[in-house]
Amino acid sequence: MPVFSRRNVLLVLLAGALILPWMGNPYTLFVGTLLFIYVLLAVGLNLLVGYAGQLAFANAAMFGIGAYTTGLLQVRLELPFFAAFPCGAVVATLVGLVISLPALRLSGLYLALTTLAFAQATQWVFLHWENVTFGAGGFKTPLISFAPLPVETPTGLYFLSLLLAVLLTLFAWNVAASRIGRAFVAIRDGEVAAESLGIDLLRYKALAFAMSGFYAGVAGGLYSALLNFVAPEGFDLFQMVLHKAMIVVGGLGSVTGSLLGAGILVFLLEALRAFKGTQEIAFGALLLVFVIFLRGGLVSVLKRNARGWEEPLRLPERRARLLARPGTASVPGE
Amino acid sequence: MRLNSFASAMVGTLLLAVAPAAAADAPGVTADKIRIGSFGALTGPGYLYGKLVMNGVEIVFDEVNAKGGVHGRKLELVREDDRCDPAGAIGAVKKLIYQDQVFALIGGGCSNATFAAREEVEKSKVPLLVFASVHDGITTPPAPNIFSTATTSTIESYAQLEFALKRGAKRIAVVSMRDSWGRARYEPLMAAFKSKGVKPVADEEVSPDANDTTAQVLRLKAANADAVIVLLYPKPAAVFLRDSAKLAFKPIMIGQTGIADPAAFEEQVGVPGGTANFYTISMVRYTPDDPAVDKWRKAIEAKFPGDRLSVFNLFGVGSAQVLVEALKNAGPDLTREKLIAALASIKNFETDTHGGPITCSEADHRCHKSPAWIRKEPGGPTKVLDVTPVSLN
Repeated sequence: MPVFSRRNVLLVLLAGALILPWMGNPYTLFVGTLLFIYVLLAVGLNLLVGYAGQLAFANAAMFGIGAYTTGLLQVRLELPFFAAFPCGAVVATLVGLVISLPALRLSGLYLALTTLAFAQATQWVFLHWENVTFGAGGFKTPLISFAPLPVETPTGLYFLSLLLAVLLTLFAWNVAASRIGRAFVAIRDGEVAAESLGIDLLRYKALAFAMSGFYAGVAGGLYSALLNFVAPEGFDLFQMVLHKAMIVVGGLGSVTGSLLGAGILVFLLEALRAFKGTQEIAFGALLLVFVIFLRGGLVSVLKRNARGWEEPLRLPERRARLLARPGTASVPGE
Repeated sequence: MRLNSFASAMVGTLLLAVAPAAAADAPGVTADKIRIGSFGALTGPGYLYGKLVMNGVEIVFDEVNAKGGVHGRKLELVREDDRCDPAGAIGAVKKLIYQDQVFALIGGGCSNATFAAREEVEKSKVPLLVFASVHDGITTPPAPNIFSTATTSTIESYAQLEFALKRGAKRIAVVSMRDSWGRARYEPLMAAFKSKGVKPVADEEVSPDANDTTAQVLRLKAANADAVIVLLYPKPAAVFLRDSAKLAFKPIMIGQTGIADPAAFEEQVGVPGGTANFYTISMVRYTPDDPAVDKWRKAIEAKFPGDRLSVFNLFGVGSAQVLVEALKNAGPDLTREKLIAALASIKNFETDTHGGPITCSEADHRCHKSPAWIRKEPGGPTKVLDVTPVSLN
């Protein structure tokens, strides 16, 4: 295994993340938590857009649905965070499933327009269903507690976000390297061809939307807890562009790319604070550079120039054998 | 005797030497510098309430520094962009407090963003003087360390209604945006209507990006409104006034601090006579072309070549003067607690720009309750008509 392999680099980063609360300050802890939230968003969106090839623009809306559901259940029904949080993820997953229905008949620009319209409609609901959502002014959510664990809220939230980011990234890697991931890629590369191979479009498209919704819902719940405030402007078009930029910069169709993209964009947004007002220019320039010159994203450069960064669409044979059910000889075909 | 004098002198010298050392323990304060953080939008449409106000703060700091600083310490302004977004504001505030280690904060442009950051600021116990955000929730109920020199939504709402009633309006209508900014004003205005026992004859909504308001104007005209309280950004407000002029609807139009530059607004409306009945509120009692603010105009033009003085710069000038006054009153042995106490005890302090004296107290941190009424007659200069002191007790 090369020293600069994906696994080694990510393990070093993980070790750094584990000690950050003792090395940093509340600001770095905040940025760290934000980073894990964006990792979840980018990984979920990449499964849908990068792997399954569905050009959807509803991720920010589902992120908002997760945040609003988690926050509103705490405020309106006085549910504790740890009960409201899974509900937020479930609601976003169900919404993802509902959005997948038009995706069966639409593709490309038409799907993009439909999902964009859905995102705008969601914004409208956040703004105008005042009796429930508190309207444009947003609302404060209660501070969550990790008692009886001896950790303060920001530290607890940081580790919770880290844990979920790690678990859901591992899950995404496994999905991508399974029959499901290969079905997603087949649909992306040609729906007719995929169908002729026996891939159920309805099932796999719905699954991709639902998974993306689930990731966005989890991220939304964490986001509402991080800010202790939920308002419509947090889930607008800029947020959608940010998510898309993460997967474009990191690399479409790559879980590792999602991690890199989220890391770079969050770092860029925070680092450019020092250069005042230049964020938008740098952000736009970065997108242009990647769209024009590096369409495979940063991960494609790593894959070309360093060993150990490949992301095969099948598990290594030893792991596959371990995971295979009794009686199953090998991983189902690609 | 001589020995005693010598000993006293030594003790005095030691105390003087120790004082900056003690102050140096306060984050952001050294023997010769006080670092002040500022957050607001540096980019996007909200930059009017962020970047421009910060520019006003900076020219005051420059003036103070040129005169030797506050108790010998120069003031340094550290700016952070909050992008007018709750997450951005929380990130900006955390960075200023924990990373940049500022001593105090002066800032807050967009209401929802500042409101979202309130908890973090309150928890940190870092003094904050809000310079432009009007959301009532930022200062009500008061956080011990957060004060405001912005006229808050409730204060403006009462002033708007008071103004309409004083002008003899009997049928008052409202036209508003229902985004976070509009909401922060609309709700206190409705409360003001209720407390005065007045019912609006019509209540119309306009979207922030509207380019036609004919329907709204016709409905207000049908309601026979003789005064309209305009809770809109300059752009939709300009569209609304243009359509009103087109449809010969001529009630008194009452604006708020979002439309604080009537000269620029007249250009935006672009219809001769379209702003003839338009009155608006400003947090400051001067217009940018008033000779009384010549000094600040020159300072802005010198420091930021290409900029022309705007009312938003003047918000910053007034707020910075309040902060400087509090820093002076807090004494040379500076601590955050002393600055908070000094801010809470500011009484009848006249800035170069605000509509009335600034008065804070332990119980009420809304320190500016004197919105100024301004008007620009078509083709004429902008004039400050009046100041409406608002009593909320």
